[in-house]
Amino acid sequence: MHRAIEARGLVKRYVTWERRGLFRRRRRSVEALRGVSFSTRWGEVFGLLGPNGAGKTTTVKILSTLLLPDEGGARVAGYDVVSEAVMVRDSIGVVLSVERGFFWKLTGRENLRYFGMLRGLRGGELEERVSRVLRLVGLEELGAADKLYEEYSLGMKARLALARALLHDPRVLILDEPTLGLDPVSARRIRELVVRLAHEEQRAVLITTHNMFEAEMICDRVAIIDEGVIKAIGSPEELKAKIAHSVPIVIRFRGDRGPGEAEKALRAGLEVLGLSVKPVEDGYVARILVRSGEDEEVLARAIAVLAKLGFSIRSVEVSKPSLEDVFVALTTREKSGA
Amino acid sequence: MGLDAAMPSSFLDVVAAEFYAYTRFYKNNRAMMIAAFIWPYLMVLILLGLGYLFGSLSQYAARMGVRNPVFFIVSASTVAMSSTFIIDEVANYTLYNRWNGTLPYILLTPMRLPKQLLAASIPSTLVSPAISVTSALPVAIYFEGLRGAIIIAALYTVIVLGMVPLAGLSVLIAGLVLTVREETNIANSITPFLLLVSGVFYPVTILPKALQLIAVAVPVKYVVDIARAIASTGTFSHEVFLAVYVLTLMAFAYNSLVAPLLGAIEERVKRYAPF
Repeated sequence: MHRAIEARGLVKRYVTWERRGLFRRRRRSVEALRGVSFSTRWGEVFGLLGPNGAGKTTTVKILSTLLLPDEGGARVAGYDVVSEAVMVRDSIGVVLSVERGFFWKLTGRENLRYFGMLRGLRGGELEERVSRVLRLVGLEELGAADKLYEEYSLGMKARLALARALLHDPRVLILDEPTLGLDPVSARRIRELVVRLAHEEQRAVLITTHNMFEAEMICDRVAIIDEGVIKAIGSPEELKAKIAHSVPIVIRFRGDRGPGEAEKALRAGLEVLGLSVKPVEDGYVARILVRSGEDEEVLARAIAVLAKLGFSIRSVEVSKPSLEDVFVALTTREKSGA
Repeated sequence: MGLDAAMPSSFLDVVAAEFYAYTRFYKNNRAMMIAAFIWPYLMVLILLGLGYLFGSLSQYAARMGVRNPVFFIVSASTVAMSSTFIIDEVANYTLYNRWNGTLPYILLTPMRLPKQLLAASIPSTLVSPAISVTSALPVAIYFEGLRGAIIIAALYTVIVLGMVPLAGLSVLIAGLVLTVREETNIANSITPFLLLVSGVFYPVTILPKALQLIAVAVPVKYVVDIARAIASTGTFSHEVFLAVYVLTLMAFAYNSLVAPLLGAIEERVKRYAPF
């Protein structure tokens, strides 16, 4: 049996124009994808992980037939995304953004009816499917099905987006960051549903996210993409095994300077396998991946570097490798030229 | 790369869906509905106000060669606005849906893009002129009685006929506005130009020679000619039938000319995916 999704050497270039003076512009070609290849199986939740601008959404748009690749090709549900685009569209349900994508002056149910009609559903079948997906995503029980979309919370919008993706009973679901910005309860509901749709109903789910915790929780396999290149593919456990010789150090700190300055100083002062600094609610968190046996020395030097910049250390933790550490390791190696 | 030929969703599916969304939108927005009925009267007030600055209504009627100037202004402005509406509608349909975030989901309908854009624009291009001519109905009946109502019905038919030659062009423009910069400027500059050469507010004969030549090729001019002929004589003269004939020829000619370009515009949209 064919794979659910097969991408072979996808290349996509965007042309941008840089303004140089009042009338002069310079043409610049940006390579968003540089030979992306992967395949997903039926009944599997496959995660495409990467930071913003890594090429996740471009990949999703090509697989959804919204964008033509410049090189390479892809098949979804056995159909070619270029020459059999109409058949691909019939086989997929897509969520591109949970914040927008519906008519504000129509209710959730009316919006679903509209999108169902676009796909040729009508009469009793349309009503039955609309009611079914509204129940499935929990909008009926929230009493939100007949509310105007403009009155929806972000969590409700995400549920409605998933309901639309399921409306025509597609075999493949392509979900671009479906839990972005959601509260924990709504995000959990979406995740549970996604897993159920794949494992119990044997649909193929491709989900993009930069939430490593989420990916580790729901994905059977993941591909890590950065700067338009797939860096690694495997189950979360397989990927974590790749960095089993490493130890992640997590330092929480705060101070007046920004995270960029902290990251720059740490990169300059330490020899590490991976490093990232992110802002959190009450300061910043640095994840540093070091070789086993070097953790104490690196930790002491990291604390000294941060203290020199005036940051105060709030907590330090030496933990087990997570998917996020794999991601940090893979993306840091390239950036540091290692 | 060749684009596919299979069509799981039909033209009528898209038309029906858009009709549904359109009617629901008005049902949920009664203020919008009322505004749609009022605008031709606001237009008349502005034009009459300007007209009185330069002379009386009878002078205006003599200058324009019409029997009833108020009826002419209401019907002609409605006709002209409505006939160019297809261009606005198809271009703005794509721009609005892009802004709204709905465009990619609409384009995921299993159907080719040009056909889909055309199908999607049909409900609003039929309903909006219907609202416009319906709003002009009280004026028509007040001045012309039952004949006025018949004229309004005839005008609606002419409006729809006037839109057909512009259908292919409107899809082409919709594709272009999605893939070029300054898209709203393009969309917003076409309709005023068409109105300029349509002769709706003053005769085409007073335009510069070059614009007069362009006007001959603009379908809206013939729609306005029909409105003027009906408003000035109150009958369907040979002038009306000649204009209808020209519009029919234009519908075939223009759409045949544009058709080969639609595949290219679809590929261009998918190459740059501007949403």
